[in-house]
Amino acid sequence: MKTFRFIALRLAQAIPVLLGVSLITFVLMAATPGDPIRLLVGDRASPETIAMIRDRYGLDDPILFQYFTYLKNLMVGDIGVSLRYRVPVSQLIAQHYPVTLFLVLYTIVLTLPPVIVLAVWSAKRQNGMADQIIRMMGVLGLAVPVFWLALILTRLFGVKLGWFPVSGFGDTMPGHLLHLFLPALSTMIWVVPILVRTLRSALLIEMNRDYALTGMSKGLGARQVFRTHVFPNSILPTLNLFAVIVAYLLGGSVIVETVYAVPGMGKLMIDSILARDYFVVQGATLVFALTTLLVMLAVDLLSALIDPRVTL
Amino acid sequence: MTPLLSVKDLTVRFGATVAVDDVSFDLERGAALGIVGESGSGKSVTCRAVMRLLPPSAQISGSASFEGRDLLQMPETELNRVRGKRIAMIFQNPSSHLDPLMRIGDQVAQTLHKHTDLKGRAIRDEVLRLLDVVRIPDSERWAQAFPHQLSGGMKQRAMIAGALACQPDLLLADEPTTALDATVQKSVLDLLAQLRREQNLTMIFVSHDLGAVARVCDDLLVMRWSRLVESGPVSRVIDAPRHDYTRKLLASHPDRLKPRAFAPVGQGAPLVEARGIQIRYGSRMLSDWIAGREGGFMAVKQVDFAVRQGETLGIVGESGSGKSTLARSLVGLVKPYRGAIFFDGQPADPAGPGRIAYLREMQLIYQHPSEALSPRMTVQAAIAEPLRRHRLCPRDAVQGRVAELMSQVDLDPDLITRFPGQLSGGQCQRVAIARALAFDPRVLIADEVTSALDVTLQAQVIDLLLRLQKERGLTMIFISHDLAVIRRLCSSVIVMREGRIVEAGPTAKVFDTPAEAYTRALIDAIPHLKGDVA
Repeated sequence: MKTFRFIALRLAQAIPVLLGVSLITFVLMAATPGDPIRLLVGDRASPETIAMIRDRYGLDDPILFQYFTYLKNLMVGDIGVSLRYRVPVSQLIAQHYPVTLFLVLYTIVLTLPPVIVLAVWSAKRQNGMADQIIRMMGVLGLAVPVFWLALILTRLFGVKLGWFPVSGFGDTMPGHLLHLFLPALSTMIWVVPILVRTLRSALLIEMNRDYALTGMSKGLGARQVFRTHVFPNSILPTLNLFAVIVAYLLGGSVIVETVYAVPGMGKLMIDSILARDYFVVQGATLVFALTTLLVMLAVDLLSALIDPRVTL
Repeated sequence: MTPLLSVKDLTVRFGATVAVDDVSFDLERGAALGIVGESGSGKSVTCRAVMRLLPPSAQISGSASFEGRDLLQMPETELNRVRGKRIAMIFQNPSSHLDPLMRIGDQVAQTLHKHTDLKGRAIRDEVLRLLDVVRIPDSERWAQAFPHQLSGGMKQRAMIAGALACQPDLLLADEPTTALDATVQKSVLDLLAQLRREQNLTMIFVSHDLGAVARVCDDLLVMRWSRLVESGPVSRVIDAPRHDYTRKLLASHPDRLKPRAFAPVGQGAPLVEARGIQIRYGSRMLSDWIAGREGGFMAVKQVDFAVRQGETLGIVGESGSGKSTLARSLVGLVKPYRGAIFFDGQPADPAGPGRIAYLREMQLIYQHPSEALSPRMTVQAAIAEPLRRHRLCPRDAVQGRVAELMSQVDLDPDLITRFPGQLSGGQCQRVAIARALAFDPRVLIADEVTSALDVTLQAQVIDLLLRLQKERGLTMIFISHDLAVIRRLCSSVIVMREGRIVEAGPTAKVFDTPAEAYTRALIDAIPHLKGDVA
């Protein structure tokens, strides 16, 4: 009951956040130089055609008026029509969102096992050889630019060895897994070090807590103390950071999706911005904001499930 | 009969520091041995060395034979069959020694899972039985609870239950009552004494409090500077100490300190007066309003008191009785929900616009000195901060004033560039007192200032406060759960329980002829130094 009230309250709080996000995106898009109609119709269109299309999309009205029209449509669930593709924005998002979602889940599945293994290994042998190497590799992973890495991986595995396709999404499940392997790997290479660092330091702190000593005094042995006490207590700080990263990835990893031509949200967003496709940008931003809110809500619920001291 | 545990020439080194130097003792089955000494004397390290619970940086030599087998040489797997099953341990701070994410019942059950063949229901029943043994009421419910839902005393009981689970032969108790307040401390000590009698438990009890040790043990080791200075039966050590340090330790015990004669305080108008103070945490929800409830949590309900110039008022009560909250309201850290505070006859608003002038007259010293000082500020900077901030003296005189304040609280001038992390607890508390004195206040509020310190330091800090009061004619409000300290220091006392004053009056009268059962229970809980108990 209390949990339901918490969820309802959080969802209610989402409304002003989404309004704010939509207003800011709207103003920023309007202030961006460039004209969607000119980009749409090309250089040779007559001024009459341009004026006609402009009028049809309501782009002649004052900005504030446009915004309120947009809000009014939003209320009835209409998030507009793409200027470029002439299809409803909702349809575009329905096409692109699953791809990004798939990519993110894929990345998570690839990321978690190495994070746990490396962090535990590193923490158990603090300042040992393995720890040093893991930390060094981590810095390397963070320092390498994603676009460069993505290009190198494409050349090596895609072109030279021919193991993986270098672009697209595929049509079947194995196809998806094959197509998205390199994008997921490129993302993983910067996500893993971040999470390993946090989890390692949390493990080191928890290993020296008093309750670990109590566990030892009960004769549980170092392994069991680690498994039942130290590890569960170390999860929480990492979980929050993990949620932030997941929310960020769900917004579409622009670089990775662009380099590998993955038809996901990031690619849709960047193409729409370049084409000044106002309504698509608006819609995608709202979806991103909503996703972030939901991920954060989920992680708060999960924290409360793990830690009895967290009250909702 | 061979002793159950025989420790020979135990030496523990951490790098170049010697933490335990050549300690030997024997422990017969069924005996209870107390180890006393101030913090850093090596008493806890001795205890942990026996269980091999020290960090890897510790180098241990000597031997500790348990039933003829040396614990210090035993392979790890074998040792883990002794730990928890044959030798169990309880620790000082029950809140940090319990896993916050695990239910109490599961933590108690851990040793049962590890060391016995019990399964499922049998374990559950055994856990409930153990919780009953340590007198946790409604054990079924509390077994399901998480540590943060239990009070300090209950957590310690739960830890004892976990330690008793496999009916160990030897219980090592490392300062098990230090973090608890007087009444809870007494109940835990009684429990330990009872377990000794009923289960014939052999015990090592480590504490800085001789009174607590005397309640449970029959033999005593006194440690200082990592060495054993004296040993013998408790009654002999207390009645006829042989070593100077033991004498000093005994003399520092609040029970041995003479109550001082209080200078008669004039019958003038009170300097600080509180009328009808009510303090509420949390706010009144709509549902409370409809139900006609007050809402939130009333930490202080209707408190009135008055302190005259030069008087020392003691406020006693258990944790959660609202005494610290009351003190905080006097310096504006919490805002009373209702009621008024008067200072020098004028209405004062500690949280309002006139607070800067008001706080110069009224200063609070906190319980945990190391937490009340910024870890990144030197002693010099900490004491000089109020001087500079309030421009209490010319800029070029600050240095001299800091030195003067430090000498007043007996701080070595060499410590001036140290950070709080490099000071002992007693020294930190002196810095905190000096910082409060920098304002040259008329009223000093001391909130449990001695609770985090061991007996010898406690005595020193109390002496310091007494001397300052005499020299400066300070008015003091002294908050403590330790009645022995209150008795020594305060001219009048109020006893608080659950946010109300249950008894008030001159200290001697309240202590000698308490009117309330609660006050009697508190007085009864004072650990006395009697050689003939246990």
